[in-house]
Amino acid sequence: MAQARIMVIDDEKIVGDMAKMSLQQEGYAVETFLSAEPALKRLEEERFGVVVTDYKMKGIDGMEVLRTVKKQYPGTKVIMITAFANLDAAIEALRGDVHDFFPKPVKIKELKASIKRALEK
Amino acid sequence: MKIEKKLILSNIINGAFIILIGFFAFQNLNLVLTKLRFVEIADDLNASFLEMRLAEKNYFLYRDGQALVDIREKISAAERTLQEEKDNIVPAIGEADLQRLESLLRIYATTVAAVQRKGPPQLDQEERIRGAGRKLKEYADSITRLERKRVNEIIQNAKRILILSFWAILASALLIGHFISQKIVRSLRVIETMTRSISEGNFAQVANVRPRDELGTVIDAVNHMSEELAHREEQIIQSKKLASLGILTAGVAHEITNPLNNISMIAQTYDELYVNLGEQERIGLMRKVDAETERIRKIVMNLLDFSKPKDANPTEADINTVIQKTLTLVQNMIDVQNIGTVVRLEEGLSRLFIDEHQVQQVLVNLITNAVQAMSAGGRLFIASRPGKGGNSVEITVKDTGKGIQPEFLPHIFDPFFSTKGEGGTGLGLSVSYGIIKNHRGDIRVESKPGVGTTFTVELPIANGH
Repeated sequence: MAQARIMVIDDEKIVGDMAKMSLQQEGYAVETFLSAEPALKRLEEERFGVVVTDYKMKGIDGMEVLRTVKKQYPGTKVIMITAFANLDAAIEALRGDVHDFFPKPVKIKELKASIKRALEK
Repeated sequence: MKIEKKLILSNIINGAFIILIGFFAFQNLNLVLTKLRFVEIADDLNASFLEMRLAEKNYFLYRDGQALVDIREKISAAERTLQEEKDNIVPAIGEADLQRLESLLRIYATTVAAVQRKGPPQLDQEERIRGAGRKLKEYADSITRLERKRVNEIIQNAKRILILSFWAILASALLIGHFISQKIVRSLRVIETMTRSISEGNFAQVANVRPRDELGTVIDAVNHMSEELAHREEQIIQSKKLASLGILTAGVAHEITNPLNNISMIAQTYDELYVNLGEQERIGLMRKVDAETERIRKIVMNLLDFSKPKDANPTEADINTVIQKTLTLVQNMIDVQNIGTVVRLEEGLSRLFIDEHQVQQVLVNLITNAVQAMSAGGRLFIASRPGKGGNSVEITVKDTGKGIQPEFLPHIFDPFFSTKGEGGTGLGLSVSYGIIKNHRGDIRVESKPGVGTTFTVELPIANGH
């Protein structure tokens, strides 16, 4: 199986760094971004299996990323993580066909399992 | 002494003075009356004496025996008058003059009686009679003249004293009136100043002015009220702070969740990849954990600091630092609402003499209001710059929100006035106003519906204090 590409967008640098360390261990190619704009640009060049994005970000936020990805790259799964454990946000994300939704603090094992499931589909 | 007592005392003194004057005038009138009665009697006596002398002259001219009888009759009449009117005469001229008059009359009577007895007089007898008669008449005349003069003097004197008293009483009444009204006006002025300063939110005591009269009592009452108000204001400030805290907590919780998540993810990665990590990597990760903990500590400290009730404690402070600290508390609340923030803090501003926490509370109130006015997103401008007069610093909090209706603008600093419906207590701006006024500063608002609102806070610089 070809190496799956995972993208992580979060304005907290440590989130990207830790996710990258863990996910690389699983054999994924991981790219991290601190904001949505360069991330969406990168998506135009490369196909990613999963995009993990923060919900609340300055500029383009997580919902916008979800909508853009679902519209332009329907094959790519989106996993959302958020510091707002907010039901409204979760419902909104589900309606936007989010693959999974994690409140912070994120359990890396669960995230990995979710990514694995996403790629299997 | 109390104003009331002073009034009563001065009235008593004035009244006593008037009674004294009246008594004096009454005495004078009595004296004048006595003297006048005497003058009347003296006129009668004088007339009798004149007739005696006429009869005497007739006797010496015509040797008429009847004339002597006439003289003796007149003498008896005069003696009777002196006896009968003794009570009226003595008070007027005194006992000595009366006795002298009587003795002169007696000498005259004896002389006339001797002539009558011994027949036609010798030349020396004639001389004696004439002499006694003349002396009697002259003496009576002189007494009468003197008494008339005295009556005149008494009346003149009384007139002078009455006029003087009139001026004295008038002056004293004017002085007392002036003094009392000055005192009352001064009292009212002190109270006016006190209440005005209280209504501006300045609850300082007026301890150095404490007269022991009604003014003192009123000042005590106002001071007491002021103390109570200060106490209430503290409570309102604290309750308002707790209300702001509710709003802040949601944002702060989110802000804590991020470093918490970072720590959690580092721990999980550390655990999972332990064997693969080099020593330097492990140390690097632990340092990150430490840094993230510090992040949380700062947020929590800020929040605790803000929530603690504090007495006003002005210190020298840099306003830009205060603004920055406040922003760490409100940043998340701003971000959540999709609001862009533009912060322009001018460098090198003069230091202020302020209570940092109270000013921070004002800023939180203003920023919270701005954010709530931009529910559909917008931009928040926060700026600091030197004030126009050169002895103050100006802070502006500007939003691009829905603005305030012009008819509400005059009321927005009133307590319990709110345009937020259920969401607002109507205390935020009134408390902010009180805090800024306590700092001898100023807070102003400009707003256009649909365009936005700008709050300007002006605080005096430290050496201006």
